[in-house]
Amino acid sequence: MHSNLEKPDKKIDHSVGNVQLKQKKKKLSERSAGYLLIFPSMLLILIVAIWPVLQSFYLSLFDLKLNDPTKSTVHLNYSFDLERYLNSAPFLITAIDQEIQNGHQVDQLTKIKTEIDQFDALLQKDPDLKKSYQTINDKLMDFKSISDGEALISIDKKLSKRYQNMTDNVQQEIKEVTKTAKLEQGEKIVGLSKGLNDALIKSNFVGLQHYKENLSSPRTWLAIWNTLVFTIVSVAFELVIGLAIALLINKAFFGRGLIRASILIPWAIPTAVSALMWKFLYDGQNGIVAHLFEKVGLVDKMSDLLTTNIGAMFSVIFTDVWKTTPYMALLLLAGLLTIPSSLYEAAAIDGANKWQQFIKITLPLLKSSLLVALLFRTLDAFRVFDLIFVLTGGGPANSTETISILAYKVMFSQTNFGNGSSLSVIVFVCVAIISIIYIKLLGADLIQDSNKK
Amino acid sequence: MHKKAGPLFYIFLFVFVFVVMFPFLWMLITSIKPLTELFGDKAFIPYTSRPTLENYVSVFTKYPFLHYQWNSLVVASITTIYTVFVASFAAYAIARLKFRGKTIILGTVLAVSMFPQIATISPIYMFLKNVGLTNSYLGLIIPYTTFSLPLSIWLLVSFFRKIPFDLEEAAKIDGASMWQTYWRVILPLAGPGIFTTSILVFIGAWNEFLFSLTINTADKYKTVPVGIAMFQGQYTIPWGEISAATVVVTIPLVILVLIFQRRIVSGLTSGSVKE
Repeated sequence: MHSNLEKPDKKIDHSVGNVQLKQKKKKLSERSAGYLLIFPSMLLILIVAIWPVLQSFYLSLFDLKLNDPTKSTVHLNYSFDLERYLNSAPFLITAIDQEIQNGHQVDQLTKIKTEIDQFDALLQKDPDLKKSYQTINDKLMDFKSISDGEALISIDKKLSKRYQNMTDNVQQEIKEVTKTAKLEQGEKIVGLSKGLNDALIKSNFVGLQHYKENLSSPRTWLAIWNTLVFTIVSVAFELVIGLAIALLINKAFFGRGLIRASILIPWAIPTAVSALMWKFLYDGQNGIVAHLFEKVGLVDKMSDLLTTNIGAMFSVIFTDVWKTTPYMALLLLAGLLTIPSSLYEAAAIDGANKWQQFIKITLPLLKSSLLVALLFRTLDAFRVFDLIFVLTGGGPANSTETISILAYKVMFSQTNFGNGSSLSVIVFVCVAIISIIYIKLLGADLIQDSNKK
Repeated sequence: MHKKAGPLFYIFLFVFVFVVMFPFLWMLITSIKPLTELFGDKAFIPYTSRPTLENYVSVFTKYPFLHYQWNSLVVASITTIYTVFVASFAAYAIARLKFRGKTIILGTVLAVSMFPQIATISPIYMFLKNVGLTNSYLGLIIPYTTFSLPLSIWLLVSFFRKIPFDLEEAAKIDGASMWQTYWRVILPLAGPGIFTTSILVFIGAWNEFLFSLTINTADKYKTVPVGIAMFQGQYTIPWGEISAATVVVTIPLVILVLIFQRRIVSGLTSGSVKE
């Protein structure tokens, strides 16, 4: 009996355990499915966004110039330009040989020659180096063109030091020889020995040099200042006007769809196109907006808008306010719609006037929408590029040059990628600081998992 | 919502719409003016007695303008389709499945969406140049992922979260696998959200400027924003043609906005407003 009673108990236990096991298994599979599903996105984000930012920082530590073949890539180690070497060393040896045959300073010149030969042998000792050596040599013999970077090989520190010593010695000795004796090809030999120097390419690692330069250059500070002025003034105007519009249209009226569509149009148009459009409206001779501003007395002359420092900054900010205020109003309106009207009714019964209602109900409840809208707008304004690039190009006299524009010019007009990267890292750091400040203000609201509610 | 709108309100609305739309209206007028009326005093008259389509003709004949539009269409469409596809899996996992580290992942996505483009351009440009992808469609689609993928994930997560959990539970009880649940239950319900996300990503990719300016410098691969911006020459700016081009670019967008305004608004405000 006893055993009979126990049996079903055990069975139940067993099945309960099974269910638990199943649930555990399911959870596990859900978890691994979750990781599997996010993997492609995370991998892409890592490759196209996070890696480039880290790489930007890395590049900013080098003297990188795309139009200079010796500086177009990162050289952490020493490299050796075989083309330049082979264009001087063999000719130097031939010239010395001729002098020796003619019986000039035989002892000293033979010593120099063996020194060069020894290094040449050392260079060809490594099978890889020997292979490139031969390829380049053959190409030079056949007068074939050598592509960029093909002749560059990386060599270790020991070998580069050895080369440096060798060239120093050879040059010193040649100097002495030419001083004491007259050689037939003296000048040629001195010239070729100096040519040896160019073959060794030192590392273009410069450390924080670019940052030092940029942070002590007035142009960078002007760009940072311009960016700040643009960001603060335009976002402030957008916020105040946007909030006013949102409050005004937060009611039932005929034609909401039309308003919404007209709000969306400036947002949907490419910024470059709207910048070009405004450039025409601001034009010093034919621009209608410039004409109206002159009539109203906002500017002295029509042409002041785009040719004076203040006028250009005003124009850029005005365009940005035109383009994004409606968008701001839209975001804030959506926030307003979530505030229950019963709160206002209750407040009205308690005798609160409109202003008190705004301060006590609207603002506190709108806080998180407001901060989110401000965060996105501030970051957008801080990294402004296309609007200013098309409208003023950063001019006149760099008065509207923001930090992104400056970084672009350094990178793509001066092809100085090392320095430009350091500027873009500065932009990144500024953006990070701004985001951190806003996120501190917002708390964890922004990425809160609404499932937990 | 209960407040009634008075006549003053409608006057305000009219002024508001007029100010917002004024630049477009002016471009429209300018685009049909003959060349002689573009300069001097006549430039400020808001009508023309001799309307002409000359500017429109020269936009399409003097510049490869149709080609720019084709390039933009190809790049923006492929970017949209592939990022929304990849993002939908990640967003489904973040919104519906239980696993650790979701907050960190979502935080990363948000942080990446705030990255300034200029901070990624030098390595991306050098990479694309080294592999020979500058002046190609792929050369733009790859960097466009930097902003479109985080945006898609962010929007889709908020749309997926709105789908009631009961349906999913019911499907599970009926013995549907996770894939079946996703394919048969979630995806049809998420359709509108996916569509909205696609519109926003498409507009973002269509309007992108910095990558397009630096990576595709050959006329054959230029996109619309860069193509139009390059209309301005060194010394003269052909305003008549620019205004016509602006109108041509704007009209499809206006139609798009008019048709999908509700969706666009719901996309723009999701994530910024907690419901």
